Amino acid sequence: MKRSLYTIASIAILFLAWWGASLTLEFARGRPIIPDPWQALVEVGRHGEELGRHFIASAARLGISLVIATLVAVPFGLMVGHERRLDRLITPMIYITYPIPQVVLLPILFIIFGLGDSVRVALISLALFFQILISARGAAKGISEEHLASVLSAGANRFQIYRHVILPASLPAILTSMRVSIGLGMALLYLSETAPMRTTTGLGSFIAKHFFSLDIAFAGVITMAFLGLVLYILLDIVERIVCRWQYVQRRDRPRWPSRLYPNKIREQFLRKIHRTDREG
Amino acid sequence: MIEVEGLKISYGAAGRLIEAVNEVGFSIDSGDSLALIGPSGCGKTSILFAIAGLVKPDAGNLSIAGERVDGIRRDAALILQNAGLLPWKTVWENANMSLRLSHRYPAENAAAVLEELGLAEFRDRFPAELSEGMKRRVGIARALSISPSVMLMDEPLASLDAITQERIQNLFLELWKQRGFTMVFVTHDIEEAVFLGQRIIVLSKRPAQIKAVVENPQMGELDYRESKEFHRLVIELRAVMQR
Ligand SMILES: Nc1ncnc2c1ncn2[C@@H]1O[C@H](COP(=O)(O)OP(=O)(O)OP(=O)(O)O)[C@@H](O)[C@H]1O
Ligand SMILES: [Mg+2]
Repeated sequence: MKRSLYTIASIAILFLAWWGASLTLEFARGRPIIPDPWQALVEVGRHGEELGRHFIASAARLGISLVIATLVAVPFGLMVGHERRLDRLITPMIYITYPIPQVVLLPILFIIFGLGDSVRVALISLALFFQILISARGAAKGISEEHLASVLSAGANRFQIYRHVILPASLPAILTSMRVSIGLGMALLYLSETAPMRTTTGLGSFIAKHFFSLDIAFAGVITMAFLGLVLYILLDIVERIVCRWQYVQRRDRPRWPSRLYPNKIREQFLRKIHRTDREG
Repeated sequence: MIEVEGLKISYGAAGRLIEAVNEVGFSIDSGDSLALIGPSGCGKTSILFAIAGLVKPDAGNLSIAGERVDGIRRDAALILQNAGLLPWKTVWENANMSLRLSHRYPAENAAAVLEELGLAEFRDRFPAELSEGMKRRVGIARALSISPSVMLMDEPLASLDAITQERIQNLFLELWKQRGFTMVFVTHDIEEAVFLGQRIIVLSKRPAQIKAVVENPQMGELDYRESKEFHRLVIELRAVMQR
């Protein structure tokens, strides 16, 4: 089956499960509790234009935050991971400040950034910053000595080491942490668009406004899920471009295991020969 | 000419000091070839890295062409144990890496060397798409691209199949004769040492000390492998190593 068919099947199963849950709850309680997907989709259609505006506002807030967090956290994290003395100095600070929920810093953020969109972006960026920072640091710590020696022996300076070894080697882990942090970003996005930071734009505000007409609120929820999906797809595309080397397969790799063994064993096999490839 | 005198290298902090090399000294005239052979973990890589300027020795004098070694030299190329390719760079990018790091790329590039080593058509592949032998050749291309006068090689052919090993040994011999660089290579393969090394230094177990020096003036032709002298030296060397 083609990949796109799997995607369609996956979304269909999700909707069916939602529908099932909705019917079960309605049956158990004797009245509708959560709207069924078709009602919600009808509301998406009816509020299409409004939802579009909110989608753009939310996407901008989350997207800009993700970009800011990444641009600051990646260089910083890679340096902390690679420079041993910096690591010893900075890492305790990270471990102490990371567990503080960024939300408790809101009053301070209000004072610094005011009440507009900048405080929303600041709140989300701050939370994502830590997630990406910690991944980038970890990735930079695990760089193989062989790859470092390979550029050092050709006289690489410090910038070149980051440019040609540490950054490219860490990109897969950085992109994974960006993907993981979308979940947290969404939660903070919703929070930053509802009380006490309520605004008139953004999917959060739309959902909060229609809190008591669940059909419409769920139209907002669907749109939010769609926003997440769009971000994941974008990150996948970025990964396929900047980590292209991870997607290549040795072209003369044997084919026979696919017919002889079930998929799991085959994957283990491929991983193993891949490893021996690498290690010589 | 490369001169090594009283070389001492150790790792780790005081208390848990690992002595890797203890008082090693030798010299090689320019254009000659030298094999370092010894048991695994004895300190071979450390000696090579010291000559390359990658490891700072605790004591001893190192000089290349009369200049003290302190840091990386532009005229020395190092081939690492597993070719040292970067998996996120294509063959072309890997081969040009040394030129690029010393800001000589794109004015100079590795196109001719890749062509010579039969890699031209693979220039856009990543290392994961290559066979082991091809990866080693990319490593060689990278080293040759800077037209080095000193070629340092750390087990350049370890863990290759016998046929590929022999083929690349032949390649090294031809390149060495053609280009006239000074060659210092580390190996744990006795036949490789005898085929490629004009002089063979046998090292002891860690910390490395010189156990014996075997001269091998007759090397230099591809058919040396079939000669009586070759086999005699292989046997002699094996006996020395087992002592
Ligand atoms: N960076 C390092 N830190 C601590 N110990 C090291 C380091 N590099 C090497 N050693 C130790 O020094 C000794 C010699 O290492 P070296 O790599 O020079 O040996 P080798 O002869 O090249 O080994 P192999 O045959 O495995 O390639 C080994 O015991 C090794 O564990
Ligand atoms: Mg070694």
